[in-house]
Amino acid sequence: MKAFAIARTNLIRFFKDRSSIFQTFVLPVVLILLLGGASGGSSLPKVGFVAAEPDALVAQLQEVLAGTGSFELVEFDSRDDAVRAVERGELQGVLIVPNGYEATLRSGANAELEFVGKASDQLGGAGAIVESVVTQQATLLRAARFAEERGFATFDVALLAAEELQTTMPPVAIEVSSTGEPWKLGGLGQFDVAAQTMLILFMFMTTLLGASAIVQSRRLGVTQRMLSTPTAARTVILGEGLSRFIIGLIQGAFIFLGTWLVFDVAWGAPLAAVTIVVIFAVVSSGAAMLLGALVNNDQQAGSIGVVLGLGLAALGGAMYPLAVLEVLSDTVYRVAHVTPHAWALEAFEELTAFGGGFGDVALFLAILVGYALVFYALAIWRLKTVMRRSAHG
Amino acid sequence: MRTAWAIAAKDLKERLRDRSAYIIGIVAPLALALVFGFILSPVQDYQFEATFGVVDLDGGPIAELFVEGTLAGSEGVELLRRDSVESAMPLVDRAVAPFGSDEVTAEAVFIIPAGFSDDVQSDRPVTIQVIGNESSEVEAGVAVAMAQGFASQMTSVRVAVATVEEVIQAPVDRLATGVEVLGTESPASIVDVTAATKQLDPVTFYAAGMAVFFVFFTVQFGVTSLLEERHAGTLSRLLVAPIPKWTILAGKSIGAFIVGVVSVTVLVIATALLVDAEWGSPLGVAALILAAVIAAMGIVALVSAFARTAEQAGAFASLVAIILGFLGGTFFDLSQAGGWIADVRFVSPHAWFLRGLADLSGGDVGVVVVPVLAMLAFGLVAGAIGMANLRKGLRP
Repeated sequence: MKAFAIARTNLIRFFKDRSSIFQTFVLPVVLILLLGGASGGSSLPKVGFVAAEPDALVAQLQEVLAGTGSFELVEFDSRDDAVRAVERGELQGVLIVPNGYEATLRSGANAELEFVGKASDQLGGAGAIVESVVTQQATLLRAARFAEERGFATFDVALLAAEELQTTMPPVAIEVSSTGEPWKLGGLGQFDVAAQTMLILFMFMTTLLGASAIVQSRRLGVTQRMLSTPTAARTVILGEGLSRFIIGLIQGAFIFLGTWLVFDVAWGAPLAAVTIVVIFAVVSSGAAMLLGALVNNDQQAGSIGVVLGLGLAALGGAMYPLAVLEVLSDTVYRVAHVTPHAWALEAFEELTAFGGGFGDVALFLAILVGYALVFYALAIWRLKTVMRRSAHG
Repeated sequence: MRTAWAIAAKDLKERLRDRSAYIIGIVAPLALALVFGFILSPVQDYQFEATFGVVDLDGGPIAELFVEGTLAGSEGVELLRRDSVESAMPLVDRAVAPFGSDEVTAEAVFIIPAGFSDDVQSDRPVTIQVIGNESSEVEAGVAVAMAQGFASQMTSVRVAVATVEEVIQAPVDRLATGVEVLGTESPASIVDVTAATKQLDPVTFYAAGMAVFFVFFTVQFGVTSLLEERHAGTLSRLLVAPIPKWTILAGKSIGAFIVGVVSVTVLVIATALLVDAEWGSPLGVAALILAAVIAAMGIVALVSAFARTAEQAGAFASLVAIILGFLGGTFFDLSQAGGWIADVRFVSPHAWFLRGLADLSGGDVGVVVVPVLAMLAFGLVAGAIGMANLRKGLRP
């Protein structure tokens, strides 16, 4: 088959270049590590804690705050550093305990703590929890002071009574439970989302950048020479497409197997997942052929490839997951589905987050096949015209 | 020096004729900034809104205090009152909703048990139930915080009332005393202060991120054109001409510097006019741009030492640019990322550029000094090594 010979030559040309190898194998792995690393560690929001003069009450307060499980408590030495971290958005807020906290409270005066919250944090979640902990700690003091003010007992006697009561009296409690389907991304592992999105981003972009090789072949006259032999334009186009498809597939298989074996990434039902990768490689090669047919300068093809590769990935949920886009806005979510990326990612989500099988992703696969058909049809139609024109010209 | 300028001028003329230079320098970053702005602008307009269901099986005064005082009075909360647990559960759980009914409508449901008000006034255990919908983590979290806040208040009042009874050794009107306790100030109270913000809005953030990301590509031609000239043989001609070697490197550097600065400046102006990006004080922005361009040039020069041809140099520089760009948070805001990446990002100049702009948005010009120095350090150290290498290659 001549088409295979053409594809083979293209592949040799591609993998001879050291930077192609880097781009195909090393870069995606580096980025998956980076993104996985970014989403790892503690995913809890952070709240700062500043107390210049720690005493017993401060230590107790800190211990309770650290144990709420709603946020990670980070101790700061200086108020300025902590406030700056809030301003930069690194903390949800910071609790600043005044100096002489315990002494002030024991003397009968009121103490004011300061909570500096993030401007964009309209939820007030962290602030409300901090406030509730502070209130709780002051419970005994409040009780003793109330009894003293009403003249029922001295502060010390009342405090002693309150302390004893608190050990025997159960607090008004809340019981939290949850129901319904978990959030789509909730059950996924640290590297799962990064692996899925980067697979789609890189398969498409690497393949698309091959458009400049297609343009180069045309510009250098390689295509014309092939056409001057008894080779149909169809065969030449098929060979070019085949080589792009194989490059996409090799990269896809590498990311797929690599993340599965090394990071234990869950890809869901294997047959369905592999089918998504294969069909997406066809879609990507189609897009590369179309770009190669439309642009006449190989450098321009390269730059446009980068823009489209990154831009469509961003739009299609291969940078910010679709589940996040869905929460943000309906319009953004709908626009995302203009890209083939979104459909491939939907299919992966169906397999991984919901444990679906081949039947559940059939519709998504059909849509992807549709993209491939449209891309190839347009590319072939355009390339035939261009090739004939240059062959006769 | 005049020779250096002449070389720069020739390079710049070539750039002006090259259409892909415009794509990489201006069209690409602008297009991507617009895409990101489009995707993430809803974040800015995000307002807290939640729908909570409540079942009051008690009907007593303390339950009423919770429902009418705490819940109904909260901003952004819509409250759906239901008579029974059976009628409230479908609000948060599609599985128990009758067939054909609407989807889940509430993010959390509160259930106040029968006898709640009496129990709070006793020393019996008492519990408010909060059932959150798993898929609405944020809203359900706020519901839990509201219930927790109320429960802490009640615990506090309950202990105070019991203390009074204990010290006078006689029963009191618990409800009336409790209301009195509620009226007293808590000894420790919290003053809420909203922090100033030193964060860029999404539109500016991505305009800035893309500007610094792509400047690592635009300045590449300084090095690649040098390697191209070597390939084409014009470098040998330059080298045999009676001009010092450094003028060639200087000329290439000046050309790359001007292209870098001009393309970022065009981007700044274009995004300010087109999408209302807020860049902040011109002086500070200018200092950051100059430093970023120098950092980019230095790193590109360093990387090119490993390349033989112009294509290789371009490819290596692009790979390093992509890795540093991601690491520096130009595609994802990493300021809240957990783990090691929150600190590691500062090994990339991109992170310093974004940090400088963010601090500039909430402070005076002086705040850019550290980021500018950091970027200059990257540029000068990497550049010195890179230039020394390139100079070695300057042989006829």
